[in-house]
Amino acid sequence: MVSHFGFGECFFAISSAPTKKEYIEVSVMKLGKVTSALHECEIGDTLGVRGPYGNNFDVKGWEGKNLVFIGGGIGQAPLRSLINYVVDNRKNYGKIDVIYGARSTNDICFKPEFEELEKRKDVNVHLSIDKEEKGWKKFVGFVPDNLLKIKPSPKNTIAITCGPPIMIKFVIQNLLKIGFSEDQIFTTLEMRMKCGIGKCGRCNIGNLYVCKDGPVFSYDQLKNLKGEM
Amino acid sequence: MVDLKKLRESTEKIINRDDVKYVIGWEKGTHGFQVTPLFITSSDDVERLIFNPLCVHNLTVFLMLQEKLPLRKGAEEDKRKVGVIVKGCDSRAIVQIIQEKGLNRDDVVIIGIPCTGVIDPKKINKKFPNQTKTVDIDEDANNFVIKIDGKTHKVPKEELLMDKCKQCQFPNPIIYDVLVGSEIKTTGKPNYKDVESFEKKSLKEKWEYWEKQFEKCIRCYACRNVCPMCYCKECMVDQLNPQWIRRSVNVSENTAWNIMRAFHLAGRCIDCGECERVCPAEIPLVKLNKKLEKEVLELFDYRAGLDVDVKPLLSMFKPDDPEEFIL
Amino acid sequence: METLTLEKNKLPQLIKKIQSRYTVLAPTKCDNITLFKPINDYKEINLDFLNSKVSPKSILFCQTETLFKFKQGISAEVKSVDFPNSKNVIFGIRPCDAKSFSIVDFVFKDDFVDPYYMNKRENTVLIGLSCIKPGVNCFCTSMNGGPAFAEDVDILLTDIGDKYYVEIKTSKGNEVVKTSKDLFSKASSSDKNKKQEISEKVEKAITRNMNTKGIVEKLDKIFEDPIWKNISLKCLGCGICTYQCPTCHCFDIQDETTLSDGARVRVWDTCMNPEYTVHASGHNPRPARMNRTRNRVYHKFNYYPKNYNIIACVGCGRCINDCPVNIDIIDIIDQAREVKA
Repeated sequence: MVSHFGFGECFFAISSAPTKKEYIEVSVMKLGKVTSALHECEIGDTLGVRGPYGNNFDVKGWEGKNLVFIGGGIGQAPLRSLINYVVDNRKNYGKIDVIYGARSTNDICFKPEFEELEKRKDVNVHLSIDKEEKGWKKFVGFVPDNLLKIKPSPKNTIAITCGPPIMIKFVIQNLLKIGFSEDQIFTTLEMRMKCGIGKCGRCNIGNLYVCKDGPVFSYDQLKNLKGEM
Repeated sequence: MVDLKKLRESTEKIINRDDVKYVIGWEKGTHGFQVTPLFITSSDDVERLIFNPLCVHNLTVFLMLQEKLPLRKGAEEDKRKVGVIVKGCDSRAIVQIIQEKGLNRDDVVIIGIPCTGVIDPKKINKKFPNQTKTVDIDEDANNFVIKIDGKTHKVPKEELLMDKCKQCQFPNPIIYDVLVGSEIKTTGKPNYKDVESFEKKSLKEKWEYWEKQFEKCIRCYACRNVCPMCYCKECMVDQLNPQWIRRSVNVSENTAWNIMRAFHLAGRCIDCGECERVCPAEIPLVKLNKKLEKEVLELFDYRAGLDVDVKPLLSMFKPDDPEEFIL
Repeated sequence: METLTLEKNKLPQLIKKIQSRYTVLAPTKCDNITLFKPINDYKEINLDFLNSKVSPKSILFCQTETLFKFKQGISAEVKSVDFPNSKNVIFGIRPCDAKSFSIVDFVFKDDFVDPYYMNKRENTVLIGLSCIKPGVNCFCTSMNGGPAFAEDVDILLTDIGDKYYVEIKTSKGNEVVKTSKDLFSKASSSDKNKKQEISEKVEKAITRNMNTKGIVEKLDKIFEDPIWKNISLKCLGCGICTYQCPTCHCFDIQDETTLSDGARVRVWDTCMNPEYTVHASGHNPRPARMNRTRNRVYHKFNYYPKNYNIIACVGCGRCINDCPVNIDIIDIIDQAREVKA
């Protein structure tokens, strides 16, 4: 959680990988009161940090498996941390696919990093944008459709998705269609949060709190929760 | 007293129309003297409809509380009209909102009821405490007739009426499509005795009084949510950037909230008294509204919600408007 | 632990004695409503009350609480707040409200201990007062409590005529009265019987009840049922039910500043407010009053029991009493039970 004193506090996923020991990075989109103020910050300003809270991706448990990352828009931020970690420990994992889509080329997050990633032979990157643009030769359409087109094999594979709620919904539907089982699908969720420690009440999905019991959930867990996303 | 049979007939006719999605009325509540809003969506629901002196709610608020949620792909917006049953004072809310262009006259079907006054829930609960079972209530010219456990109590109206009803000038709905019952003659005149006697107090006394009241406020915003005139898309109290009123609950912020609420109703409040009825802290909010109503009447000779064709007070200008207060 | 009796006319003396070591909060008449307030003098206490209008949760879980103070700007600084550590006695708390503390404790103790609440909780002694006249919408007997239920207080006083029957339940309670033991007498078995009689009589006077048998499982099956839409049609979306509820514990956190200084405060929040869950993107997982009404019911009768094995309702009836449109939690649970799932 990052505090800008006088403006408030916001939750962010750490978007740098744990393999970077010198610093942590969070990615902030300028939207509300706090994030706008954070964008005005200069080097040397004092901010507050607390956390980290909640659970994490089971990177150790997934060793030896193929990984499919499916990101949309700014939902790439938490996946970036994971992707960078996996790439830094490349030999521990099988085939890696990164599927990512944004509204337009201007909305693509971490563009230079994707370019770097695309150069690698041991990572398959599949980018898409929602609407046609001049010069764009890759997939045009929504992320769930791109996923169907790519059709990653579910065999010994874990799929991790993050993005807008509506995208997550259809990505999961399509993963199931391709043959992924419920415990092979993971997502990291976003909710409005205030306390981060399961007390203020607002980030619940059913009886679980995204801040404390999440933000990483398997679809297996999610489908049984009675609650709104 | 309204003929319930006629009211139900009129309502049934309206709910059976293809262009009406529901009619809002009242039904028996879950306990004691409670009466509760009823959403009639088919003629099957009509038999639950009641009207009696316990029907205090100003149902016009539900016209403004309709939710416009994002539609599913391919779904069409339900543009059917909403029916609502109104008393005299309630109808003024619709008039005022139409004046403000907050509501389209064609979007509502109004069933009007000439009203002989409603009972103050606080007064009747005090007079007959511990009523769990729902109670039947009737009225004659001067009394409320209350049947509790087979025993009939006749209580003079004066004792149980809402204070607003005692000086009501608009018992007959100002606007309606159907009127159930016959119009009531009134002799009521604007009465600001309470305001006048309060005005005589010293500044210190006034401040002490309101400080004590606002200290109790828990900022649940029931006063706002129950008010048919409070239909802003985003209330100033919810705004964060800029934040007009802090979320902290203390006398200073509470005062800011309550005063701003009252000011936003200047020239708009139609005196249904719902804000004061619902306040869990029992703050006499009508006192504030009445003061502004009096000022508006004296300065501009304007009363809210009486004529759909008149411009709302704050959006009209007359060359002879008083301007002593302009520096 | 120990049962005693206290002559009614000795109560002022007892309060005075307690006041020498504790701050006493008691039901007082504030204008036309009763609230728990710190008192200076016994005369301020109003014991002729059904229950306080706002629940005494506001004492431990303040509606506005400063979490810490800070200086803004380039060299921002954070200064923690001091805990007063003063010892408090809540005198006259009703058994239902005392039970609410036992329920809310789960949240504030869970995983991360909430120091703001727990500090006050630990420094507060609850001297309960049994109900002798239940309200119309009281249903504590349906919620594993009762008008003279002594399990959640440190001391319970029950009016048995000219004296109080006093049950000292904890060492915390014993500590409060240890210096004034001379005011009490030993309770006889007839005193005990009298208390029993009275509490049974009052229990019988409670006319409303809620059947919660199997409700957790039932709610699991009817999440998508139209009853939630129907129930919420008349909801105004105000915060009365949640603010008045002794077990509702949700809050908002805000920075409040002057030119250079500031404080991070937490204030009660309500899940009935649409802004409560709205994301910065504009997406709202609970966009309609239907979602929010349902969430309130589920939080109390499904989520809370799943997490802590207890229903988050004590049967105080405040949400029913104060709802402007008669949305009645007993009625909701009845309706939920009747749905064919």
